[in-house]
Amino acid sequence: MKNLQTVPSSIGSPIKKGTAKSGRGNKLVPYLFIAPHLIIFLIFFAIPAVSGIYVAFTKWNLYSAPQWVGLTNFYEILANKDSTFYFQLHNGLFNTIKFVCFSVPFFIIIPLLLAVALNTKTYGSKIFQSIFYMPTLLSISSVILTWVFMFHRNLGPINNILGLRTNWFGQQPFTWMAIVIITLWWGIGGNMIIYLAALNSIDRSLYEAAEIDGANAIQRFFKVTIPGLKNQLAYTVVLTTIAQFNIYGQPLMFSKGGPKESTRVLMMYIRELAFGSGESIAGLASAMAVILGLCIMAVSVIQFVLMRNKD
Amino acid sequence: MYKKISKVLALMLVFALLLTAVACSAKTATSTGNDTSTENKSTKAAKEIEFWTVFTGPDGENMVKMIDEYNKTNPKIKVKHIPIQADEMYQKIPTAVKSGQNVPDLSIVHVERLQGFVDNDLLQPLNEYMTANGKIKGENYVKAAWERGEINGKHYSVPLDVHSFVTYYNKDLVQKYGPTVLDDGVITFDEVKQVGEAAKKDKVLGMGITWMRVKFLSWYDQLGGVLSADGNNPSFANEKGEKALNAVRELHDAGITNLDGEDPVQMFRAGQVVFLPEGIWMKNSFETINTLNFDMTHMITFDPAKKSNWTSSHQMVMFKNKNMDAERAAAIMDFVAWVGENSLEWAKAGQVPASLKIMENAEFKQMKQSFLLQEPDTLKIFDYKYFGYAVESLDKIVWEVAFSRMGAKEALEQAQKETIDRINAK
Repeated sequence: MKNLQTVPSSIGSPIKKGTAKSGRGNKLVPYLFIAPHLIIFLIFFAIPAVSGIYVAFTKWNLYSAPQWVGLTNFYEILANKDSTFYFQLHNGLFNTIKFVCFSVPFFIIIPLLLAVALNTKTYGSKIFQSIFYMPTLLSISSVILTWVFMFHRNLGPINNILGLRTNWFGQQPFTWMAIVIITLWWGIGGNMIIYLAALNSIDRSLYEAAEIDGANAIQRFFKVTIPGLKNQLAYTVVLTTIAQFNIYGQPLMFSKGGPKESTRVLMMYIRELAFGSGESIAGLASAMAVILGLCIMAVSVIQFVLMRNKD
Repeated sequence: MYKKISKVLALMLVFALLLTAVACSAKTATSTGNDTSTENKSTKAAKEIEFWTVFTGPDGENMVKMIDEYNKTNPKIKVKHIPIQADEMYQKIPTAVKSGQNVPDLSIVHVERLQGFVDNDLLQPLNEYMTANGKIKGENYVKAAWERGEINGKHYSVPLDVHSFVTYYNKDLVQKYGPTVLDDGVITFDEVKQVGEAAKKDKVLGMGITWMRVKFLSWYDQLGGVLSADGNNPSFANEKGEKALNAVRELHDAGITNLDGEDPVQMFRAGQVVFLPEGIWMKNSFETINTLNFDMTHMITFDPAKKSNWTSSHQMVMFKNKNMDAERAAAIMDFVAWVGENSLEWAKAGQVPASLKIMENAEFKQMKQSFLLQEPDTLKIFDYKYFGYAVESLDKIVWEVAFSRMGAKEALEQAQKETIDRINAK
């Protein structure tokens, strides 16, 4: 990170000092550099996002031309308490937020502890690093198929080892527990790798100094490691939160949204409305997606502000 | 001033770059498109009929074998199989048809989708092409499956198969706990109770609960229920619906079925379940287990005189395509007619071919699923206009009632309201 930050400033200074003529020429260069990314960003992100927002104000079945309906879709999901879609948005959003709250802390703490443990570079740590990272490469379908067997009520190893007969698929709080465990197992590697890389860049002399001052391992962790990882922690908290807001595959395939729609997340309602087996109601689905997007944005902004204030 | 000009220039350059990039890619896309369409008319593609199917599983292999067999007959135009995941295919179709590019020549769609495609003017009526061919006639196909292709006086599809939800039973366990149950060829709810109670002491389950939606639909139909009385508004929140759901719930509460979270299919494989209502597509996988002595019969009934098996059907359709010409359409119809006359391979995939010609085949008659074609009136294909909305609403509640987490009345009212709201919102 440090290197990246220093490079542009060293390039920047000669431009400022240069003549008007050479400055003009050089100023085009940065745009050329960002052009490929910008084009991809526009085609695959900006344009679809803007059209998605437009669709939220229309009635559209994917076949015929969208029909402008103004704020009707938003009224339906935000204010019409008798509507099924009002319930769906609120229930879906509530369940999504629940999942975010359950999973994000674990997604930060566990990979951090694993990274610190692996960073001790004990014998075989590279193998463990690969093992922890490997599930990230699997598709959600294969992950769920594996875990459905693990959590099977009477044949599954989890119930048999613990001597339980728990119904992990249709009884709360076990269903949420199972979904969080599965998601953790699946995605733990990503954050762990980021922390591991960052741990390597913490100056060893800080640890030595702390040790000489008599700090024990826990004090060193909180006074040296955590401050050293501050940027990476902020980055992963925001990105993990955004990623978890988009939860879809796990409850869809593991619990089918049950029991009693308690794990039915907003993405499941959105997808069913837009691409279900009946005629598409893409306008309402987009309106729900816009609300979800706004929530993600709001949470990210709050997190950014809080972290900046800490600085 | 210079600064301003340079900024504007830079932005213009980027914009120009963008435009060029987009135009280039568009140009490449069109030129490839043109190339293919020229090719279409002259060489490669003209010799191939693009056949989109949803057979991405093991049944895809049987379809490939069938198509290979057809291509060996030296047809005017050979067929090329393009399997696509069903969801993905249904998302691709509107774009392909509306843009007129890469429209498949022939496609497999689920019967419940036909009405929606016709309403949105995506399907090509086949009457003219079928008349020209002369071999594809309604009387040669399962009535329930053929009739669904008839919409607003035109015929839009030819059925490939019918696939039903039936009852699998473990012959050894039936012999042990209810040897007379299958004397009349059907299993009633009372018999399930009786066998289930007898099997309890050995920790064997009377019945397994899997896909609830279609079980509910079969039982609701047996009781004379309809999804919509007027063809538009749903009307399934009624006493018949409640009776159908409560019947399962009672079996569950009496400890005769599996509990939620257990896998009854696995348990049936292991010989721990007597009756398992499941799809005919499971047959091949059960046949691989040597220790499992099983057979198939109609869906469990309330009344032995009223048998009804929820059924769906894969239908062959042609989407509207401005590049279609009579010669090509004739070649497509040749293939469709050939499939009707040579569908044994499809039966081997575990399906019931919709062409009645298969009943003349001795090998098919030996197959367990052939009992369905002997009583084609028991095949119930639902044709409610808003079937998709109704079943997705039902999916949210049928399990809850079966596993005693929700009352049947409240649940059905919720599903009916959701269906109404979706109809009004569309």
